[in-house]
Amino acid sequence: MNLTSPLLSIKNLQTHLQVGKKEIIKAVNDVSFDIKKGETYCLVGESGSGKSVCALSIIQLLPAGISSNPAGEILFDWRKADESHAQVDTLKLEDDELRKIRGSRIAMIFQEPMTSLNPVFSIGEQIVEALQLHNTGLSDQDAKDQTIKAMKQVQIKNAEGRFDDFPHQLSGGQRQRVMIAMALACKPDLLIADEPTTALDVTVQAEILSLMKDLQKTTGMSILFITHDLGVVAQMAHQVGVMQKGKIVEQGDVKTLLRNPKHPYTKKLLAAVPENLERPSHFKRAEKLETDHDALITVDNLKVWFPIKTGLFRRITDHVRAVDDVDLRIHKGKIMALVGESGCGKTTLGRAIVQLEAATEGSIKLAGQELVGLTPKQLRPIRPRIQIAFQDPQSSLNPRLQIVTTLTEPMSVHGIGENKEDRIERAAKVLEIMQLDRDHLWRYPHEFSGGQRQRIGLARALVVDPEFIVCDEITSALDVSVQAEILQLLLEIRQQRDLTLLFITHNIGVVEYLSDETVVMKAGKIVEQGLTADVCGNPQQEYTQKLLEAVPRLKVS
Amino acid sequence: MTDMSQTRINQSYGRRILRSAFSGWGARLGLAWVIILSFVAAFAPILANSMPLIASKNGDIIFPILRYISAEDVLVMSAFLVLLVLWKLRLTFSTKLWIFATLVMLAGFAGKAFVSPPKLIVYEQYRETASEYDWMVLPPIPYSAKDYLRDYGDTGLEAPLSDIKRNHIMGTDENGADVASRMIHASRIAMSIGFIATGIAMFLGIIIGGQMGYFSGKVDMLGMRLVEIFEAIPVLFLLLTFVAFFGRSIYIMMIIIGVTGWSGYARYIRAEFLKLRKQDYVQAAIASGLPLRSILFKHMLPNGIAPLLVAASFGVASAILAVATLSFLGLGLVDEPSWGQMLNQAVKSSVFNWWMAAFPGGAIFLTVFAYNLMGEALRDAIDPTVTKRED
Repeated sequence: MNLTSPLLSIKNLQTHLQVGKKEIIKAVNDVSFDIKKGETYCLVGESGSGKSVCALSIIQLLPAGISSNPAGEILFDWRKADESHAQVDTLKLEDDELRKIRGSRIAMIFQEPMTSLNPVFSIGEQIVEALQLHNTGLSDQDAKDQTIKAMKQVQIKNAEGRFDDFPHQLSGGQRQRVMIAMALACKPDLLIADEPTTALDVTVQAEILSLMKDLQKTTGMSILFITHDLGVVAQMAHQVGVMQKGKIVEQGDVKTLLRNPKHPYTKKLLAAVPENLERPSHFKRAEKLETDHDALITVDNLKVWFPIKTGLFRRITDHVRAVDDVDLRIHKGKIMALVGESGCGKTTLGRAIVQLEAATEGSIKLAGQELVGLTPKQLRPIRPRIQIAFQDPQSSLNPRLQIVTTLTEPMSVHGIGENKEDRIERAAKVLEIMQLDRDHLWRYPHEFSGGQRQRIGLARALVVDPEFIVCDEITSALDVSVQAEILQLLLEIRQQRDLTLLFITHNIGVVEYLSDETVVMKAGKIVEQGLTADVCGNPQQEYTQKLLEAVPRLKVS
Repeated sequence: MTDMSQTRINQSYGRRILRSAFSGWGARLGLAWVIILSFVAAFAPILANSMPLIASKNGDIIFPILRYISAEDVLVMSAFLVLLVLWKLRLTFSTKLWIFATLVMLAGFAGKAFVSPPKLIVYEQYRETASEYDWMVLPPIPYSAKDYLRDYGDTGLEAPLSDIKRNHIMGTDENGADVASRMIHASRIAMSIGFIATGIAMFLGIIIGGQMGYFSGKVDMLGMRLVEIFEAIPVLFLLLTFVAFFGRSIYIMMIIIGVTGWSGYARYIRAEFLKLRKQDYVQAAIASGLPLRSILFKHMLPNGIAPLLVAASFGVASAILAVATLSFLGLGLVDEPSWGQMLNQAVKSSVFNWWMAAFPGGAIFLTVFAYNLMGEALRDAIDPTVTKRED
């Protein structure tokens, strides 16, 4: 056995996907790379660059009807059951041979831990099944022992006790650990991880990443790690390949690539990361907290509780305290960032401020005017002053309406603009501010990309001339380069229109780039707040410190 | 570019949807069948009647058929003609609706005031007195639906075109009446029951279900109980009771089928609205302070109506079948022809008379099929991701 030979060697791989009857997409177009034993190869690229298709091609998981590999080879060093080695081309293997490799020699973990486990079996049973599938003749007791060992290996506490737990009893991070335990149960030589931490909170992500590194050290497996996050690349990779439109535009050692990118696309990607992103020249971050005059938005003792109803008569037995006693001051013209992990109540707080969620207790004032307790009718004239933009570009625009209707309807309701033509003109102007074409008015939402839709979502908020906009994770579904454009645009319009923003996000990099002040939330309460420079540079609270440490930074150690 | 955008502004949402829905051949065939059926239904007394349309007696030209036209016929025919004219006029939908309503009302009152058909009609008299006329023009099918051809003796259950003396293109039924004529007159009941009952049911369903879905909570709870109550009502027994109290009226049947049939539509709309309420674009519409009417009917309804349209196309079919069932049970209209009643005759007969089954069965099938084709096309048209792909 030759130690220096790569475990996996992809040569000039082409993967074509059939779309419709005639159209063919070259999802992977002439890609070559090697993965050495015990190393991590990171494939990085934006959505649609073909990185997942490339990984799925390796274990031939793409549906045969729509995909084809007209050229290339994928050479895998197959360690057979009797420990003999053979180099095989997975593109040419028969199905039953492939099945022997899949799962046992090449294992895969996916992005969404919520859906990749079967909800009707306990996690122990699922790992046992994976084990017995690949080791026929393994007794039930042995399989159970090995399963518990594997669960301990991925640092699931009290592994024996959790054997019979069902997936819904586990948190997202724990489920991803179970997925890893399942993947590692058969001691694979190659682990393909397709965005395994994208759906997880940053602190959980940090734990999973360090777990994967530890496991790699102890088992000596190779990892093909697919991600869009350059911070994660810096943490994980030995080798990096940057993919764009089905091709690897640059690859090499992680340090050289991140410090010294050669290809313009790599340079662009690195420049778009919030840590590196350039701010507009006029940008000036607030240097001290404003205390002298009244805030635009004043939130006092705000509670938003959701009742938990149980039993036959739906009696209220308890409450989910989504927002629990929160005080907040947002001053005019400032950008306040609201950070926290999923489920901390940051979105509920934002929605409560724009009166989309009823406050259980407390007060919300807009320039001194109390908003809590107003009837829908009383609220209507105030609505245009406080707007919201949403996270999901898929659902933020009405698919049945042309953009022009979406933009002009709120204007006509609130009497902005003299007539239809004037309103269309105003809508077109706002679109131009958002760097979109006037023609786009006459299109439907499905004709736009995610980034464009987010701009239209912002345009919809802007057409009614608001004073305050809540931006609820508006960039988290976007690619990093698109995110960069939107962030720069936000700073631009803030400047032009003297807007006040509450920017809800889980991305610390974005917070540091954008905001004047930062509020950190945890379990419905505010943990720490202050100037961004203070909160991010010198965090006082333990939770904030933990959160900041967990952020994968670009700097390569 | 400006021209194009201008036309796009002027095209209302509904018109655009209709245009794209009826661009495919399937929906056009369906629409064609329904238009033919509507025409036949509206002009049934002129198309199939024992009385001559025009006759000349002693040099005077008379219109014997006019004496037998009822106020209802006037109303239906004028409604059809008004619709036909309005179709081509370039007016907004609401003005068209107003014009239509006023004209039809006028026609209805005029019919009531000036038309009084005789209570007892002796169909044979025109055939017996035919020799008195110098010449006459008969309708395409020269038999009325209730003309049992007593002057010809026993004419029951003759196969199509089997009699050389008379021309029954679809044969005769067990009472001796012409099947083709009964088919034509029966299409009225089919059309009106289908449209009006389903229309009432959909209207109620959208209003009640929409409120339930949008407001949820207590409104939803009460609404769902109401739905359950209505679903527990056996429509057939309700109809039976009402028929016993108020006599056999087609209008009462329509209203009862409509009023008891909304619960299914309400469930569909409620489920859709519950889902849509949480969509970001609905939240954005609320945050923009749009009025409730716009949120419900502009932002939510078009996105949630697709399953309803498909259900409605089946609803029309099931309303037609409900009336057929009633006729089968002997609760239908006594002497009025209906497709269901004719099918029933085919079943009851000891010999299989194929023309009694094939023609009404085929008509029911084609009508149901046509509504399904249109429902499918509408559903696709409302979904812009589907229609745009074809461009």
